[in-house]
Amino acid sequence: MKGSYVGKAEGRKLLRLTLEWNGGVVMRADIRGDFFAHPEEGFDEAESALIGAPVADLGRTFASELASRGVVLFGLTPDDVGEAAAAIVARIEAEER
Amino acid sequence: MAVFRYLETGENPAVFNMGLDEAILESVASGAEPPTLRLYAWRPRAVSIGYFQGLREEVDLDRCAELGVDVVRRLTGGGAVFHAAELTYSVVVPETHPLVSGDILHSYRALGAGVVAGLSELGIASEFSGLNDVASGGKKLSGNAQTRRRGCVLQHGTVLLGVDPEAMFSVLLVPDEKLKGKLISDVRARVSSVSDALGREVGYAEAVAAFERGFASALGGLEERSEPSGAELERARALASERFSSEAWTARR
Repeated sequence: MKGSYVGKAEGRKLLRLTLEWNGGVVMRADIRGDFFAHPEEGFDEAESALIGAPVADLGRTFASELASRGVVLFGLTPDDVGEAAAAIVARIEAEER
Repeated sequence: MAVFRYLETGENPAVFNMGLDEAILESVASGAEPPTLRLYAWRPRAVSIGYFQGLREEVDLDRCAELGVDVVRRLTGGGAVFHAAELTYSVVVPETHPLVSGDILHSYRALGAGVVAGLSELGIASEFSGLNDVASGGKKLSGNAQTRRRGCVLQHGTVLLGVDPEAMFSVLLVPDEKLKGKLISDVRARVSSVSDALGREVGYAEAVAAFERGFASALGGLEERSEPSGAELERARALASERFSSEAWTARR
């Protein structure tokens, strides 16, 4: 299944998430927006590492992958990404029913 | 504190401007050059997008082609910017420098103090707004972005000297979600410029003189204006061609 999200939490930057998953496992997660991350390449790696993670744990997995690479975010939190993923899954699964 | 090298490189294409910022970062990181301030502008007009932005979600590429507007992806995060009548600065400084040795928010403000001081030189009172904007009277006049690589901080930012909302919002795609929580929800009303604020036209040359003084005050002094080294110019041209002109980089998200 596949879906996307565009949103902006209070006090944060714009977040766009495109998510593909199958059997509860992430097949693709593209995180885009006008936030900042240092170092940027660490963010890219943490994003790639989401493939194969449980979609229900996306926020926690992303937090762990960022932390292990020493990545600092501004204008975005891993929870924002997890909540965006949950919103996508809820919407797409409701449409499938 | 060491005095900053000062470069003023005038108008250049977007890919060269981004290449030269990175070339300066490399030369400061290697110790070949001291901490550096550069003031510059863009010709032709250009849109730059942030490192993490999706190209086609943020920019109307067909409209850019019609208007002769270049498109480039930055090394830094942040949002899309339409570079037309503006002054742009970049500061490159080792992470060990006292100006940037605090947390990242502190370093934004320490380097961006040159923008606030430059605006003050022109007679405009302004202040930081959020992480990376400078605003006057609630309207954004400057956006700033930072990256940290090779043990150095590169911060660049723009000061809007004039604004053409019609062109700006025909090339930038601004989603409704971006305006949530903003005091002024009409994106056009949120954008202002130095010329609007002063009620007279302020051009690049006048702005350069003001921001030289502003950054000299904020950075603890500037050397006499000089030119990028031959090695930096050669590296900038290579980066412009190999990285910043490439589809693989520009459309990577």
